Amino acid sequence: MPALLSVEALHWRINNKDILKNISFNVNKGEILGIIGPNGAGKTSLLNCILNHQKSFTGTIKFRAKNVKEYSAKQLAQHFAVVAQKTVPIFQLSVFDVVRMGLLPHKSMFALDSSYDHRQILLAIEKVGLSDLKNNQYNQLSGGEQQRVLVARALVQKAQVLVLDEPTNHLDVYYQHQILQLIKSLNITVIMTIHDLNLAAQYCQRLLLLDQGKIIANDITNNVLEPKQLSQVFKLNCLREQTPNSSFPRVYFQLASDTGSGEKVND
Amino acid sequence: MTKTSKLTILLVLALVSIFIALTIGPANISVTELITCLTNECHNSVSKMVVWQVRLPRVLVGLVAGMGLACAGAILQNITRNPLADPYLFGIVSGAGLGATIANLSLANQLTIALPLAAFLGALFAVVIVLLIAKALQRIDQLLLAGIAVSFMLAAITQFILYLGDPFASNRVLFWLMGSLTRVEMSHFTIIFSIVIIALLIILACHRQIDALLLGDESAVSLGVNVDKLRLLMLAVCAALTATIVAYCGGIGFVGLMIPHIVRQLIGVTTLPLIIGSALMGGIFLIWVDVIARTALANAEIPIGIITSAIGSIFFLFIMMKTKSN
Repeated sequence: MPALLSVEALHWRINNKDILKNISFNVNKGEILGIIGPNGAGKTSLLNCILNHQKSFTGTIKFRAKNVKEYSAKQLAQHFAVVAQKTVPIFQLSVFDVVRMGLLPHKSMFALDSSYDHRQILLAIEKVGLSDLKNNQYNQLSGGEQQRVLVARALVQKAQVLVLDEPTNHLDVYYQHQILQLIKSLNITVIMTIHDLNLAAQYCQRLLLLDQGKIIANDITNNVLEPKQLSQVFKLNCLREQTPNSSFPRVYFQLASDTGSGEKVND
Repeated sequence: MTKTSKLTILLVLALVSIFIALTIGPANISVTELITCLTNECHNSVSKMVVWQVRLPRVLVGLVAGMGLACAGAILQNITRNPLADPYLFGIVSGAGLGATIANLSLANQLTIALPLAAFLGALFAVVIVLLIAKALQRIDQLLLAGIAVSFMLAAITQFILYLGDPFASNRVLFWLMGSLTRVEMSHFTIIFSIVIIALLIILACHRQIDALLLGDESAVSLGVNVDKLRLLMLAVCAALTATIVAYCGGIGFVGLMIPHIVRQLIGVTTLPLIIGSALMGGIFLIWVDVIARTALANAEIPIGIITSAIGSIFFLFIMMKTKSN
């Protein structure tokens, strides 16, 4: 089966600096791909290229075998839904208002909301567990609730790929797991950048490890979270252990001067 | 109460306001007399003249001017993501004022055509300068501050031209800048009404895109909105609306600031109810401000811009305090 999204020899250079270098990878339908790497590795830039928000790259990015540059912005919004790191609402938008925005890529100029649209919005809000808050103001919700509202908007958008940029930033442990569990339960293709490697280990099927704009590893989660590899990229000693009663590993980092138990691999 | 019910109430209030406002003024015209005059069966020629040539144009121009200014304010606030945006603070009115001043002083004989055209060009000039500054700064949040700076600059040039100009013409311009519906005609109503309808259609065609901006540029882009093009289009629409209104009615400030805020509180923040609500409430507001303007003083009219600015400046401070406390 051909890949849903394929990136081939992607290179993006700006202000005489190579941000992304020779990036190639595929994303299959239904998989959750995590993009990991240190700050400045090019994770968000890669998302921007995939979404065609950044157009000056070379190489090709194909979605369903067609170059993303051949899609109009509206067509891309019909296929890709984005849950941004942080939104800056103005005025008192309700949860319903924000989720309703997901209709935009599917509506013609003067089209009004139908009763079907209305039901879809309420269903999406219900699916993310916010039915009781549907009339509440979006900017008065917690960070985790706001992320869920944006996921509900993505559901209304009926996109095939959900793109998330650091969805767990600013969230406490409970909300981190709640949002990722929700995303996993949707059974759609997900591409997300994520800093927390243990959350990535738990929720992503495949990881893309980036460093200085290059792909260091692209494999199933277990193979990418190799202590030696992570130590080189993050410049910290990395320890790894298997989580009891589960299939995913846990990784820990420590400065070279620190001492601790575990398998020290980069001495 | 649903948004549709609230908008229906506003529509009824607008129609009632038009009707009642036609009966109020120095000449005493009863409701019965008004109805007979409006149905063209009026026997009293003075009443007929007052209704058809004086009050109807005033009330209708008040309605559409209020509609246009309130919509321009609502759109400017949404696209700049700044609750304090208003055509008056955006250089648009000062630009129109400069254009009108130049036309008033240099082309006094062809004023009917030259004044609105010059005011429109002046407004466009102001918008272009504001956009260039904002682009140079690369910060959209600076758009309003750039607008205020441009507004002061253009107002200074206007005042300098007036200072040097013929005192009689200067007086005429000064009175015009204060805003008034005294000299409006039915043809002005037709022009403003057409522009308002075209602007409303463009705004309503883009209502979902404008909504998407409420959550930030990044969010709007991810929904397929070309943010720069949308901003430019909406600024042009606001410039056209404001310039046309200012050209015929003079400087009427703060309507665009106040009305959208009231509508957001009472009806909703998304573009569709906001624009329809602002248009109706703006129309009602200006009809009644004009009633005050023509009846408050026994033998004189108060320029309408003075009243809207007096109410608006207090409202402006109120919004600033509220924004701070939020």
